[in-house]
Amino acid sequence: MTESGLEAVFIANRGRLLRFLRAHGAGDAAEDLLQELWLKLSRASTGPVAQPLSYLYRAANNLMLDRHRSQRQADRREQAWIEASDAPAPGVAVRADGESGMIAREQLQAVEAELAALGPRAATAFRRHRLDGVAQRDIAVELGVSLSTVESDLRRAYRALIDLQRRFDEV
Amino acid sequence: MTAEQMPDPIDAAALEWVIRLRDPGFDGWEAFESWMEADPAHARVYQAMAVVDEDMAALVAAVPAPVLRPVPVVPARRVSRAWFGGAIAASLAAITATIVVQNQPDPYLIETAAGQPRSVVLADGTRLDLNGGTQLLLDRKAPREAVLKQGEVVFTVVHDDQRPFRVSVGKASLLDVGTVFNVARTGPRTTVAVSEGAVVFNPDAEAVRLPAGRSLRAVDGAGSIVLANTAPATIGSWRTGQLVYDGAALADVAADLVRSTGLVIVADPAVAERKFRGVISLGDNRRALPAGLGPLLGVRVVADGAGWRLQAAAP
Repeated sequence: MTESGLEAVFIANRGRLLRFLRAHGAGDAAEDLLQELWLKLSRASTGPVAQPLSYLYRAANNLMLDRHRSQRQADRREQAWIEASDAPAPGVAVRADGESGMIAREQLQAVEAELAALGPRAATAFRRHRLDGVAQRDIAVELGVSLSTVESDLRRAYRALIDLQRRFDEV
Repeated sequence: MTAEQMPDPIDAAALEWVIRLRDPGFDGWEAFESWMEADPAHARVYQAMAVVDEDMAALVAAVPAPVLRPVPVVPARRVSRAWFGGAIAASLAAITATIVVQNQPDPYLIETAAGQPRSVVLADGTRLDLNGGTQLLLDRKAPREAVLKQGEVVFTVVHDDQRPFRVSVGKASLLDVGTVFNVARTGPRTTVAVSEGAVVFNPDAEAVRLPAGRSLRAVDGAGSIVLANTAPATIGSWRTGQLVYDGAALADVAADLVRSTGLVIVADPAVAERKFRGVISLGDNRRALPAGLGPLLGVRVVADGAGWRLQAAAP
C-alpha cells in the first residue's frame, strides 16, 4: 500500500478514527488530534502497510498514549516544583522525565528476579510476546502448550512486571 | 493505586486490553472502543497502564535473555592469537620478537567535516558509515576495535563469535552480537541504537543488552542509562537524509543537524531539553532548512552570526 493508498483509507475512515479518539477521552481536541495524527503519518513516509485500518487505529492509540505521557510529565514537573526544596543528594539518580525510564542496576536486578519468579515457561512466553512481538497462538505452538496456558502465563507475567514498574514509578 | 491492593475490575480489564493490543494481529479495535466508551475511567486506566507497560518493557529488554548467555568477553589486551593458535615451528625468541612487533598499536584517525559523510569498508567486510563531524580512531593491528571520539557512525559488523567487534565511546564500550548499530557521541552524551542483531553496552560492568529496536542514552558521569524504543528501520536513516525522532531532546536534534548539514544550529538552554517526535527531511537545499525547522520543532529559529539559534516561540 502506497502512501496515497494509506491516505485514502484514512479519509474513508475519518469518522471511525474520530470516534476512537473520543472514546479515548480526546473530547473537543479530537479533530485537532486527528489532524496531528495525519501529519505524523504523512511525515513518517512508511513502507508498505499490510492492514491499513488496523495500522491507523494503532497509530491513533499510540498518539493518545503519547498525550497521556506528556500530561503525566507536566503533572510531575508541577509536583517537582512543589518539592523543589527537597533537593536530591548529589549522585542520586532523579527521574527527570517520564519519557524514558532511568535505569538503575537495582531495577534491572529486580526485573530479573521477577522474571525468575515467574518460572521459565511464563518468562519465555512473556519475552516472546512483549519483546519479540510473537502472537499468543504461535507461542503456544513453540512451547507445546495450549493457548489458554499461554494466556494465563501472560496475564500473570504482565501483571507482575507492570506492578513492579508501578512501584519504581512511585519512588 | 498500590500493588498491595486487590486489582479492581477496571484494572483487570485494562490489563487484558494491554495484552491483547500487544498481539501483532490484533484487530478488535471496535470492541476496545466500546469498552472505553462504556465509562470514561476505562480509557484513563488503560492509558496509564499502557504507558507503564512501555516503560516496563524497556527495562525487561535490558535484562539479558537467559539463552543468550554467556556474553563473549574480549580479552582486555589484544594478543595476536593467530600466532599462538597456528602451529608455528619457529624458535621461541623469534615468535616473541614478532609478537612484540605485532602488538605495537598502529592507530589511524578517520575524520569527516560537518556535512561531509563518508563510508569505509574494513578488511573483514565490516562497513562503517561515518556521518559528518566525526572522528573515528581505528588500529591496523586491532582491526576489530574502534574508538568513536565524536560524531556518529553506523557500524554494519561482519560478526565473528571468536572476535566480536568492540566500539569504545567515552568511558563505555559496546560489544556486537551480530549487528548493525548506530553510535553517536556529542560532548559527554552517547547514544546507541540497534537495528539488527544486538549489542552489549559495557559488557564488563552493567552489561545492558540492547536488542534490535532498542536505543540507549548515557551521559558521562551521570551514573544512569536511559533506554527507549526506536523503530529499527529508522536507525541510521541520516544516511538517506532523514532524521527520525521519537522523543529526542532538542539539544540532540540540533547536534545531529550540525553533523549532517554543516550548518551551525544551537538549541537555547530554555528549549534544549524539550522532546521532539517526528521526522526531519534534510532535502537538497540545506540553506532552506533552518526556515522550515521552526514550525516542525515548535520553536523560533533566529539567525545568530553565521548560524541559527532555536529559541522558545513567543507565547
